[in-house]
Amino acid sequence: MKKFAILADATCDLQEELQKRYDVHVLPGHVILPDKTDIPSPLKWETMTREEFYSKLKKDPNSYTTAPANTQEFANAMEKIVSDGTELLTMTISGGISGAFQFASLAAKQVMEAHPGAKITCVDSMRFGPGFGLMVAYAARLRDEGKSLDEVTAWLEENKNRFHQAGWLDDLSFVAKKGRLTNAKAFFGTLAGIKPIGEFDYNGLTTVIGKAKGAKQAYAVLMEYIAQTIENPAEQTIFIAQTSRLPQAEAFRDMIRERFHPKEILINDVFPACGINIGPGLMAAYYMGKPISQGLTEERAIIERQLNKGE
Amino acid sequence: MAIRRINGIETEQMLRSGLANLQRRETEINRLNVFPVPDGDTGTNMCMTLAHGLRNATSHTDVNVFLKTLSAGMLLGARGNSGVILSQFFYGFSQELSRAALIGPGELRSALIRGYRAAYQAVLQPVEGTMLSVAREGIEHIRGQITRSTGVDVILSMYIAEMRKTLAQTPEMLSVLKEAGVVDSGAAGFILIFEGMLSYLRGEPVESDQPLTAEAPTAPAGPDLSLFDEDSAFIDGYCMEFLLQLMNDRAYDQSFRLQTYLAALKELGSSIVCVQNDRRVKVHIHTKKPSPVILLSQRYGEFLTFKLENMQVQHNEYDRQTVQPEHKPLAIIAVANGEGMCQLFRSLGADCVIDGGATMNTSAQEFVSAFEELNADRIVILPDNKNVIPAAEQAAALSGSRQVTVLPTASFAEGYFALAMDIPDSPDTDERIRQMRRGGEGVATIGEATASRDYSYHEIRCRKGEEIAFLNGELISVSRDWRTAVTEALMMLEDIEDKETCIVFRGKDIPAEREEELAEAVAQRLPMLELEFVDAGQEIYHWVLGVM
Repeated sequence: MKKFAILADATCDLQEELQKRYDVHVLPGHVILPDKTDIPSPLKWETMTREEFYSKLKKDPNSYTTAPANTQEFANAMEKIVSDGTELLTMTISGGISGAFQFASLAAKQVMEAHPGAKITCVDSMRFGPGFGLMVAYAARLRDEGKSLDEVTAWLEENKNRFHQAGWLDDLSFVAKKGRLTNAKAFFGTLAGIKPIGEFDYNGLTTVIGKAKGAKQAYAVLMEYIAQTIENPAEQTIFIAQTSRLPQAEAFRDMIRERFHPKEILINDVFPACGINIGPGLMAAYYMGKPISQGLTEERAIIERQLNKGE
Repeated sequence: MAIRRINGIETEQMLRSGLANLQRRETEINRLNVFPVPDGDTGTNMCMTLAHGLRNATSHTDVNVFLKTLSAGMLLGARGNSGVILSQFFYGFSQELSRAALIGPGELRSALIRGYRAAYQAVLQPVEGTMLSVAREGIEHIRGQITRSTGVDVILSMYIAEMRKTLAQTPEMLSVLKEAGVVDSGAAGFILIFEGMLSYLRGEPVESDQPLTAEAPTAPAGPDLSLFDEDSAFIDGYCMEFLLQLMNDRAYDQSFRLQTYLAALKELGSSIVCVQNDRRVKVHIHTKKPSPVILLSQRYGEFLTFKLENMQVQHNEYDRQTVQPEHKPLAIIAVANGEGMCQLFRSLGADCVIDGGATMNTSAQEFVSAFEELNADRIVILPDNKNVIPAAEQAAALSGSRQVTVLPTASFAEGYFALAMDIPDSPDTDERIRQMRRGGEGVATIGEATASRDYSYHEIRCRKGEEIAFLNGELISVSRDWRTAVTEALMMLEDIEDKETCIVFRGKDIPAEREEELAEAVAQRLPMLELEFVDAGQEIYHWVLGVM
């Protein structure tokens, strides 16, 4: 049987090499630059380096905006894939922060009406950035193991709540402004040295579940947090994301490798589609583990216990 | 005269006018965006969607030809949720008119209905209180009144009036809007488009290059006069403001001297501001009896402008507007000094910031007053000085049933780190308090100032005018150079090599360029220490450093 195709929106942050490796299609959204030009959201650093982009963004955060691909754009991309009878799995950025899932679902309906017999499923990843990318990689792997479109779709719905983020976001002004945290009204200030630790919640947003004083304490707490939430690390590919925190990400990668011996660990960039809304301060690992609890009560308790231990 | 029919060219011109009207208010609409759904900004997205449609539309007298190309362009150019809904609206609109060469009253009615129905289908779970509700109610409430002889312009103006009514209701329909105190942005943008279209029909098209300043003048709401009546107490008096022209005519007293005039005014009222610019005098005064002020002033000249307001009305209005603060499980009172620092503390989530001033002796009374203003189950106080801790504890003891915790933060640097460690997201107030306690612990505070007199302390002595630095309140280094005083103090910290970051509060009247100088001086000795500067504006201390 012919294997199905996977289409993910560009907020999955899978760059070309990984798109090829996992054999997935990526649909760009829109990035609107300060001069109001509207460009397809890029997945490589072409016109400027990562550092240049994030330092410009930091100076002028309000002049950059993003928009997901619209219904028509999703429909066009889907049509191209399904017109020869290929089945399609579509995965989108968290519905908690974007309308992309709605657009994709409507587009799928339209395309299936226009092409009787076409089969398209849509999954709201409830994640963004490399956390979403990792889920796409899992879907691709299951497909390569011979699972059908329906099986993989069901697996994702069943397991998406097990994709974790363990990391910090030390510049909260962006997320507060752009609404990517659940209760971010009180986060505009400078956070000298304080590392807020964020995890995905039930609404597909990230929530601060603890704060560490300084990078050293943060690393220590995060390593324990991973230890208590990860499952079968030896069989996992772990993604590490960073917006403009590469040295910290490299240190984190080495620590994780040494302690958990994952099958593979990759540092990924966060490109403008997500980066504009996150800002320069993200440094986090993404992996699969225990289901995340409602209200993040268990996750908060883990962090709290670690912080108490250090005293 | 009512307009019976419009063709494709007119429809295009109407939409251009609609787009221009929306563009003029784009920023305003963006500001209404309250959803935690950052798909871009509503105003910008709607403008881009409609502009894309118009750019790609074919001009044609037959309205169906024009609309078909317009809606195809809009579907492709749709940006964000609001853009998608808008494009679907025009898609439905054009579908209804797919065979029409002209739009008459019947066509317009059906197209507006088909438009909103298509828009509803564009979203999986339609939310009321948005553009959808406005588009639906706008036409549903008037469809019965439209006859074959109703003008297209009349229909549009009824449609807009109905939509405005619904717009005003959107906060009631959607709680996020109510919480944010705004109406729905997409709905407001949608109406602007139709208003621009109607303007065209009325012969006043909105030009796209029209300057942004052409805002509709909205009269500022005056005070509510019902707040003062025959039984009101008159305590606050009047606020008078006038510009007095001193006259050369001999009929006027030519011996005007600002100082004597001012002294006379002081006998008549309070809150006096009096500025003379050549032969004109600007005066502001609060008084219960305006006539002596007028008589005094008219001795010297005549009024160019004159304003008199009953402050009691304003006061009562203020009282009425003062609403109960939001109830919180945990409220934080922080003591700080300097405008920038107070702002920083507020932005970090302090519910009340008391500016302790230079003397740093906040009283128990000030804390008690702060308690009164807060509506919280628990209160945490972050003092800025050891001496303030007892006052805070005193206030806590006086607070009766209120549960108040005083954290022993002995400097605003400690207070800052305590606040920065709070997790407002957390439902567990005990955990939050533990977090703040942790934040304040282990912070070393260094303050740098100029010695105001000769002084000696243990082994250290300084002379008046020398630069001195304190570590946790004790004099620790003296130098002629402020940079040296600070870096020496840093080097005295036992475990300085283990410290990661340092927040630096820049004092009042210290130029911003000095931050660079300080950063360089510190980097020479401690290259790994990260400095983060805040324009805090505290008094006395040029620099306050919190090292963690």
